[in-house]
Amino acid sequence: MSATVSSTYRNVGKGLPRRDGEEKVRGLAAYADDIPVPDGWHGWVVRSPVSRGRLKKLNFDPAFDWSRVCVVTPEDIPGENVVDMVGRDMPFIAHDWIQFKGEPIALVAAPTRALAREAASHITPEIEEQPAILTLREVVDQFQRDPKSLHEMVAQTISKGSVEQGFAEADVVVEGEYWSGHQEQLYIEPQGMVAFPEPDGGIFIQGSLQCPYYVAPELIVTLNLPLEKIRVKQTAVGGGFGGKEDFPTLIAGYCALLAMKCGKPVKIIFDRNQDILYTTKRHPSWVRHRTGLKRDGTITAMKVDFLLDGGAYTTLSPVVLYRGILHSTLGYKCPHVYVDGHVYRTNTFPNGAFRGFGAPQAIWALESHMDRCAHKLSMAPEAFRLHNALRLGDTTATGQTIAEAMGTPTVLENTLAHSQFVEKQKRCSRGDPKADCWYGIGLSFFAHGAGFTGDGESRLKAKAALDLEILHDGEPGINIRISSTEMGQGTFTIMPQIAADGLAIPLDRVCCPHPDTKYVPDSGPTVASRTTMIVGSTVFDAARKLKTQLEAYASETFFGGAPTELNNGLFKNTYTSVSLPFERVAKQLIAEKGPQRVYHQFQLPASLKWDQKTFKGDSYPSYSWGCNVAEVEVNPLTLEIKVLRITSTWDIGRVINPVLAKGQVEGGLTQALGYAVMEKMGIKNGVFDANRMQTYVVPTSMDVPEMDIHFVEYPYTHTALGAKGVGEVSMDGLAPSVANAVEAATGVRLTEIPITPEKLWEKLRETASSAI
Amino acid sequence: MKTVIRTWIVNGKKYTVEFPPMRRLLDVIRETLGLKGTKEGCGEGECGACSILLNHEPVTSCLIAAGQVPDGAEILTIEGLELTHEGQELQRMYVAKGAAQCGFCIPGMLVASYAHVTGDHPDNSDAALREAHAGNICRCTGYAKIIEAVSAAAERLSHEDEDDDT
Repeated sequence: MSATVSSTYRNVGKGLPRRDGEEKVRGLAAYADDIPVPDGWHGWVVRSPVSRGRLKKLNFDPAFDWSRVCVVTPEDIPGENVVDMVGRDMPFIAHDWIQFKGEPIALVAAPTRALAREAASHITPEIEEQPAILTLREVVDQFQRDPKSLHEMVAQTISKGSVEQGFAEADVVVEGEYWSGHQEQLYIEPQGMVAFPEPDGGIFIQGSLQCPYYVAPELIVTLNLPLEKIRVKQTAVGGGFGGKEDFPTLIAGYCALLAMKCGKPVKIIFDRNQDILYTTKRHPSWVRHRTGLKRDGTITAMKVDFLLDGGAYTTLSPVVLYRGILHSTLGYKCPHVYVDGHVYRTNTFPNGAFRGFGAPQAIWALESHMDRCAHKLSMAPEAFRLHNALRLGDTTATGQTIAEAMGTPTVLENTLAHSQFVEKQKRCSRGDPKADCWYGIGLSFFAHGAGFTGDGESRLKAKAALDLEILHDGEPGINIRISSTEMGQGTFTIMPQIAADGLAIPLDRVCCPHPDTKYVPDSGPTVASRTTMIVGSTVFDAARKLKTQLEAYASETFFGGAPTELNNGLFKNTYTSVSLPFERVAKQLIAEKGPQRVYHQFQLPASLKWDQKTFKGDSYPSYSWGCNVAEVEVNPLTLEIKVLRITSTWDIGRVINPVLAKGQVEGGLTQALGYAVMEKMGIKNGVFDANRMQTYVVPTSMDVPEMDIHFVEYPYTHTALGAKGVGEVSMDGLAPSVANAVEAATGVRLTEIPITPEKLWEKLRETASSAI
Repeated sequence: MKTVIRTWIVNGKKYTVEFPPMRRLLDVIRETLGLKGTKEGCGEGECGACSILLNHEPVTSCLIAAGQVPDGAEILTIEGLELTHEGQELQRMYVAKGAAQCGFCIPGMLVASYAHVTGDHPDNSDAALREAHAGNICRCTGYAKIIEAVSAAAERLSHEDEDDDT
């Protein structure tokens, strides 16, 4: 039933230990706050105390000695006062309008953090306050009454067939609305950055970031420096999860602006309170489904309204919306689809990237709704899904044909078998008043688009370089030069595995140093579950290229032109039994011709077609697939919800390192568990109400249930390596399986995450009173 | 500014340090002693990244005013763990089982593991190990491989104890 790839590789496919494991368990890994910053100053951000208004002026307390500190206001910005991201609506420092509470209004640096902070408290703004819109509830209310009154940041539709026709053909129409709140990435290392002024007028930025080639080019217009004078190097990163995708440009900009003015290195390390209050979150969402169904379970129409709360500025919201709407019906066959997606502004901290990037919101709604549809038809949830699941040859909402074998519906069948879902369904309590403990089991089935949306990979053209040179141990080897970062997921381990196998040389001859824009080409950002799939494949092809060059050199130099092959670290020619080790040949080549660099550039297949305007065509190069079965227990008295067990199966293409892949799934499921039942963050007086670790509660070792994790491998056929993504798919689909299990346990459906005992109490009470 | 002088045994070596008495122990360890392995994750004792052993007891060093720590106190940080047999065993198993991902919680997590395995008659059941690490937040791993690593290290260490007894 499951496809397994037979591996001819020595390293790929093996659960090799992490390359950075030793330095991490010895406490030697240097994170942003650990690197030496001689003579460095500390930066601080002065923030708006109101959510919206016109900024009239800043008052500087004349009693404070300003000569001891450096202050940056918009007038000090060498270039444009704009954060040059997808949208260009966010100023680096507010100069006219305030759009959210906490918006930067000035920057301060001083020799000590305490002094910088003190100076900041002596700057007070005069703001003419204006009414603000603060929550998604307000947005949805207005959307239903008068959408034109809202500030729309971006909108996009997907249209296939005719939903009117689909509804006309339906026997039953099922509707549902689903809500999700903010989620904080809560990487354990807070955001941190240091900017060092360079003697040539440039700037050298080091810190905790996912995407060196986001930070550097995005600062060009603000710093008024050419790209080559903005050098960005990643330090060790204590977790990112998307939180260090777009945000680091801001904190790097603050440091750089201050450093360029005061001439000293400037460091900003957020404390946890600042980090939660003043960094991006997952977009809150409201999704309304209307689905047409035949009595036999066939879906005839899917109409979806998909709303995101963008926060105050655009950041990456368009891209999050695109991924969100593309996943809002994904996984199922349906001839008539209409999805209407919008991002609206609220006057709160801008929302941004978070593992899953719109897909968890979409799948939360979709997979809750699919259960509701099955229930309406009195069909078993697994039977309904198996009846409608996309299969080879079917088309998605954008008209993309599933053209290669994928884990649908295998992941579903496999998980049903491992979890004994069908048998356990019979045990579900469904709110039985006589039961001491309510048991429930629930299912979710989903896909995650692997790589950038649409033809993004064609536009980006990921580049990788391999440097054949003398390594730190004095012996020849390969330094992998990519801008992909290690933030815990294992880039620095899998890339050497891939390069060593591509070259057929020993693993210890390959290194993957921290990316530094001075040395690495742009492989794209470390996001979108694309690193192994796209950059890994590019590294592999670069390694094959270098192997051919080395073989040609060895043949010419050592074997009199006879055909020579490099295998297992040895050069051999076909005619003699003589063999030469890789090190010998490489050393001579470097001595003779100097270090060698090969480049490779990723290319999507020419057959991939995507229309960004109409959202028709191949919306992703390929798809990873997942299925979760969650089992829960609910205490009928306290309504405490305990997730007992998660059984899951994943198709992430070829598994490069099974230990790391499983670690990604375990971690993703745990973060998804928090999203489903624990991580609650509201807006109070314009800011996040859970603003500390004490109030923003994430899963501990005691909250995590037993996890039974399986992989089935359906390789991506366009690359030799065949990997798809694992980083995000594991975050995508747990919440609906828990909601479905809670319904099986209690008899009521909850439509807002996180699912809490309080919400369950309200729902049960509401249901009981409506029954009377 | 008023300062105090203290002499402590840090990772087995004697150090004399001077600092304002209300300075957090975490800052004295990181800035004055230069031991950067101990991390700050929350500054309020919730995440456990700054855990160290103070006189053999695990504490969150962000919540302790360094002036409260008397002369002669013994401090063990992540940098000192590898000087102990149990610490080495734990480090080895953390690497072997893939327990570290981003690694930022790991110094504190390992201190919790060390406190557990070196405690009196440690209970190495899954539930007890989970409880022993409940004060340390990890956002990457889902804890499975951390618990697996500590369990494997505890198993090996307990066999050594049996050998010693015979």
